[in-house]
Amino acid sequence: MDHQAPQPQARILVLCGKGGVGKTTLSLALGLRHASQGRRVVIVSSHPLPELGIAVSLDGLSRRFPEASRNLFVVHLDPRELLVEVVERAVPVPLVASTILNSSIFQNLVEISPGLKEFYFLARLQQLAERKRAISGASTPDYDILIWDAPASGHFLATLRAARAFETYLTGPLAAAGANLDRFFSSAANMSILPVSPLEEMALTETFEMADALSREFQLGCDALILNSVSPVVTASDADLATLHIDDSSAPALRFAVNRGLAERELCAEIRHRIAAPQVSVPRIRHWDGDLDLLDQIGEWLNIPAAL
Amino acid sequence: MKIIVYLGTGGVGKTSVAAASALALARTGVRSMVITTDPSLRLRTALGLADGITEQQVPLPDSEDAGELWAALLDVRATLDEAVRLYARAGMAQRILDHPIYATIASSLVGMQELMAVERIDQLRLRGFDRIIVDTAPSRHAFEILDKPALFADLSSSRKVKLVGRTYKLVSALGLQSIGRSAIDIYAKAEEILGVNLVRQVLDFYSIFYPIAEGYSRRAERTVAMLRDPAVTEFRVVTTPQKAMRDAAFFTSALGERNFPIGAICVNRAWLHAAPEPLPGGMAGDVLGWYSAVSESHRAAVWSLKEAYGTQVRDIQVFSELERDVDGVAALDVLARQIHLPL
Repeated sequence: MDHQAPQPQARILVLCGKGGVGKTTLSLALGLRHASQGRRVVIVSSHPLPELGIAVSLDGLSRRFPEASRNLFVVHLDPRELLVEVVERAVPVPLVASTILNSSIFQNLVEISPGLKEFYFLARLQQLAERKRAISGASTPDYDILIWDAPASGHFLATLRAARAFETYLTGPLAAAGANLDRFFSSAANMSILPVSPLEEMALTETFEMADALSREFQLGCDALILNSVSPVVTASDADLATLHIDDSSAPALRFAVNRGLAERELCAEIRHRIAAPQVSVPRIRHWDGDLDLLDQIGEWLNIPAAL
Repeated sequence: MKIIVYLGTGGVGKTSVAAASALALARTGVRSMVITTDPSLRLRTALGLADGITEQQVPLPDSEDAGELWAALLDVRATLDEAVRLYARAGMAQRILDHPIYATIASSLVGMQELMAVERIDQLRLRGFDRIIVDTAPSRHAFEILDKPALFADLSSSRKVKLVGRTYKLVSALGLQSIGRSAIDIYAKAEEILGVNLVRQVLDFYSIFYPIAEGYSRRAERTVAMLRDPAVTEFRVVTTPQKAMRDAAFFTSALGERNFPIGAICVNRAWLHAAPEPLPGGMAGDVLGWYSAVSESHRAAVWSLKEAYGTQVRDIQVFSELERDVDGVAALDVLARQIHLPL
């Protein structure tokens, strides 16, 4: 894939799913993986990134992975800051721009306009994905891969719907911009949907609902399902599994670990009926606290190609 | 009446802890109600909230228990629809419900869920519940339950919706000349930047919606006063060992800024068993080795949390994870028996 002519935009890999399933850590691990293979990667998140900001010192990253860190960019898009930019672009006089931004009329309009912040977020995401250098020779950096560390499933869907809402309740330029964004973000040619879920009922139910909504509303299928924090029992062979016996006299730790693992294994078998996409398993490990070798290891487990 | 508000990020088992707390309280003989937003199917079934039922009394596990356990599901859209029908001016309800903006506010206006929870607390207060346990929306923004009523109060004050709404009426009736010069400038600029169409649509909508916002903020003020009273309300943070330090830092500062004390930090889903030594061979050894690595990191996380926050937060509780997902009220009971609650 690397030797083909540049695509018109970066491939967008969307890590989506329930809150707290590990999307941010996995985004970082996947980004690091691709960056170390020589691709230019940007990770985009709409929430503040305590994990990235605190746990990974960018210093440490560039010492440990000098090659990769040159290709890896992390962008936090704050919707409020995006609106500041919109105003500053439209109003070149700084004093006037700040008067508008500080006026309660403007702030309230922004606060009560449904989908406005999401709309500008998507617009910026599309802009980041565009490969300006390949097209126009511009000097702004462009990326081979954009990893979208998406908000929790409900808000993720609401973000995608914002563009469509603009299209339906407005007319004129904003409606046209909404239609354009809607086309871009419902195109499987631009987006790889990679839901992340642990093997737990609630997270899986939410993942199925999200996948259904993506397919129904945006004609987007799942490209791979990332199963995070899985037990070794899930990936064990049947022969190994047969050697596991527990009864009332077993140590509580063993009973817990085996029962838990068997429950996960059952769920894993059920998933294929709901999401046909290939599964990628990331073992449950000790809590990730910024250990870069472990991050590298997670990236290796993930092993998701740039072009699915 | 007392209120317990559970806060926490996604995936920490907040809903289970909230429901188990309601169960533990009901067992002490009081009428308790858990208000939840998005329970798992198992929990929904356990609480009798399946198949579109939004409020239900749940039978207690032991027949000799004296209290009552109730569970309510918060349906943002339905609650808002109801409010529109109740509080809209004559003839306006249908116009609001049909407005293109309305279709999107229930899902996209941040904090709507919290606001509806506040509305629900107000209704329950009148129905004689002794304890209300609120399971907030699973996000880092869940404490907006505290900010949103204020935002809505602002929205409906002259500075916000009223101005926006009335200005729109004035503008459409009299033309822009009749409102203040600076306001006109701002509106004109806002229309330029955000688009005439968007601004007009939003103004049009809020010009008919603001009486409802006003009603909300009046009722919300009362509820928020209760939430602000430490004699009535306790805020508790639910977290997991992995997230404990991060969540504690976030919630102590977010609540601190708002002058709310944290009643307790509940570290849920902890793996607390010690692995037998020496480890057996084969698959059992692999599984145990894996378990004990995770379990050790859990114990270390709890220790760090107590070191860092033990003096600031008077109550740090640790609940062990169940072997399987919470299934039925009996399984909820296993969790309920681990929780210490203010009576």
